[in-house]
Amino acid sequence: MYLKDMKTGQSGVVVGIKKGHASERRLFEIGLVPGARVEVLSRHPFKGPLLLQVGNCRLALGQGIATMVEVELIPG
Amino acid sequence: MTVVMIGNPNVGKSLVLNRLTGSNFIVSNYAGTSLEVSEATINLPNRKIRIIDTPGIYSIFSIGQDQQIIKDILEQEKPELILNVLDASNLERNLMLSFELKQLGIPMIVLLNQIDRARRIGLEIQRERLEKILGAPVLFFSAVAGEGLMELMQMLQLDSLQLNRPSSIEPYLEYENCQECSLQCTGCTGCSIGSESCLGSDDFRRAEIARYTAQLVLHRQSKVQRYWIDKAEKVLDQPILGTIILLIFVFLSFFLLLKFIELSEGPISAILNPVNIFIENFLASLLPDGMINNILSKAIPEGLIIPFTIIMPAMLMVSFLMSVLEDTGILPRYSVALERVGRLFGVSGQAVIPLSLGFGCRTPAILATRLMPTMAERFIVITILSIVIPCAATIGVMAAVITAFDASLLVLLTTMLAVLVILGFLLSRSMPREEVFVYELPPLRIPDWGNVWKKVRMRFAGFFSEVLPLLLVMNIIIRGLMESGFFELFYTMEGFTRSIFGIPSDAFVAVLVTMFQRYLAPLVLLNASLTPREATIAISMISLSLPCLPVMVMTVREIGAKGLVKILALGFITSFVVGATLNLILPG
Repeated sequence: MYLKDMKTGQSGVVVGIKKGHASERRLFEIGLVPGARVEVLSRHPFKGPLLLQVGNCRLALGQGIATMVEVELIPG
Repeated sequence: MTVVMIGNPNVGKSLVLNRLTGSNFIVSNYAGTSLEVSEATINLPNRKIRIIDTPGIYSIFSIGQDQQIIKDILEQEKPELILNVLDASNLERNLMLSFELKQLGIPMIVLLNQIDRARRIGLEIQRERLEKILGAPVLFFSAVAGEGLMELMQMLQLDSLQLNRPSSIEPYLEYENCQECSLQCTGCTGCSIGSESCLGSDDFRRAEIARYTAQLVLHRQSKVQRYWIDKAEKVLDQPILGTIILLIFVFLSFFLLLKFIELSEGPISAILNPVNIFIENFLASLLPDGMINNILSKAIPEGLIIPFTIIMPAMLMVSFLMSVLEDTGILPRYSVALERVGRLFGVSGQAVIPLSLGFGCRTPAILATRLMPTMAERFIVITILSIVIPCAATIGVMAAVITAFDASLLVLLTTMLAVLVILGFLLSRSMPREEVFVYELPPLRIPDWGNVWKKVRMRFAGFFSEVLPLLLVMNIIIRGLMESGFFELFYTMEGFTRSIFGIPSDAFVAVLVTMFQRYLAPLVLLNASLTPREATIAISMISLSLPCLPVMVMTVREIGAKGLVKILALGFITSFVVGATLNLILPG
C-alpha cells in the first residue's frame, strides 16, 4: 500500500519509492528510505498534507507526493 | 587553516559558528534559515582558522543550487577539515550525509549538536563506538549551552590529518541485510527523469549503513521527560484545532500591530513636534528667503518626522512578531496548515515562509524563495511578493493614508486578497508545475529572547540606513517639484485620470512616483486633498504595484533580468487594472 492510504495512528515501514518522479531523491534524502519506520501523526482534511513521524523527526508531506511512497503496515 | 561546516538543514550550523567565533549570524528555528555561505575566523594560539558555514543539505550527491555551492567550496577553497554538524536526535538520517562526506577523503570532525535535546527525549549515544565506525572524532555538542566547545577548540589545534582513520563499518555490517539489490536504479533506461535525481545502489547502501550505525550506537531510555512545550506541539500539530489556533495567532498579530501603530502615533508626534518646529524655524531663519528656503525648511522636518511616526512603529512591531514566529518554529507550521490554500495558487506549502517574511521586508524574502522546489514556483512566489505583499514600512504608510483621508480599509484588504487570488490562479495555470510538498517540521521551542532582540535590531537597522535617508532625499526632491510647479504640468491629465481611475491628476502623479518605493506615498498623497473614495483608489493602486528598488536588485540576482521585466510588466498592469476596476465598482 502507499503512504497516502495510511490512517492516522498507523505505523509502517517504507518498502520503496515509486520510480520516475523528480522528487524521488528528495524523499529519500529527507529520511523516507527503504526500511525506515513511519507513523502517521495526522492527516489534514480536504486532501491536505500528512504529518509523519520518521525517527525523531517530523515531516509534512503533500498528498500528491505521498502516493509515491510504498509502505508495509505494521500491525497493531 | 580552512574548515567547512556541512550538515542537514536546521541542525544549528549557524549557531555553532556563532559559538565558535563569536559572530552574529542569524539563527532561526526552521529549515532553510541560512541560504547563503557565511564565514568567520577564530584565532587559536597556534593558528588562525577560517570557518565557512554552508546552507543545509541532505546529500552532497544530488543536484541543486545548495549542493553546487558546497561543491564549489570544496573545489576552490580546498578545506583541510570538514566540520560535520548533526542533529543528535536524528542520527539515522544525519549519518547518511556523514558517510557521504567520509567518501570525500577530507579529515572530518563530527559534532552531535543539540545533544541536550537528544538526552531529554531519552536517547543515549555511544560515542566511542560511533567514532570507531565513522573513523572520525565525535563530539557531544550543544551550541546553546556551550557543551563540547572546549574539546572542539582543542581538537582544532591538532594536525587535522591525525584525526581520521578509515571508516570501520564493515565488521559490523552484515551485507545480507542490505536491500539494495531489489531496489537499485535500473540504469535509468526506463526513467523519464535525469540520472542525477535517480537513486543508485550507493545511495541505498549508505542509507542502510546509516540506519545500521544508528541502531548500533543508540540506546533508548524508557523514561522520557515530557515538557509542556511537547504537549503544546502535539496540540498545534493537530489538523483542525492546530489550524484554528494558528489562524487565531494571525488575527491577534494583526490586531496587536494595528493597535501598536495607533497607540504609538500620539506620543511619538508629541515628542517630535517641538523638534519639528525647531528645525523648520532654524532652517527658515538660516537660509536666504526664496524657493530653496521654502523647500528645505518644509521638506527636511517632514522627511524626518514622517518615517518616525508612520513607519517606525510598524517596522518595530512586525520585526518583533516575525522574530518570535521564526524562533519558536511556528512559522513552518503555517506551511502545513495553508498547504491546500497554496495549491490553489499553484505553489506548495513552503511558500508561506517567504511570503510571511515579506511582511517584514521583501528583500530577504526574495532570497527565502530558494526554499521553493521548482523554478516555476519560485517565479510565482516572487511575483506575488513583489506585487501584493505589503512590507512593514508599507503597512505603516497604508495605515497613515487610511486615517488621514478616511479611506476604506475593507476595500483595500478585499482588493489585495482578490488580486492575490486572481494573480495566483492565472500564474499557476500559465506554467507547468508539479506539486511537491516535503518539509521537515522543527520541534517547537521557547524563543530565546536575546536572539529575538538581536533580530529585531537587525531588521530595524534598515530604518536608519535605508528608509530615513531615502525618505529625506525623496521628500526634498518631491517638495522641489511641487514648489517649482512641475506637477502642474500633469493637471492637463485631469480629465484622463478622472475618467479612468476616478482620481485627480496629483493623486495619479503620487501613484506613479510611489510605485517604485511604496513608503514614499504619504509624502506625495498627504499633500493632496482627496475624498475618501479617491484616497481608497489611490492607495489600492500604490499597494498593488511594483517591487521597490532593493527588491528589484535582489530579483535580478536570483532569477535574472528577464524575470524582473515580466514582474514589472505584471505590476503595471495590476495597478492600472485595480484602479480602473475600483473606479467602476465603487459607488461615486
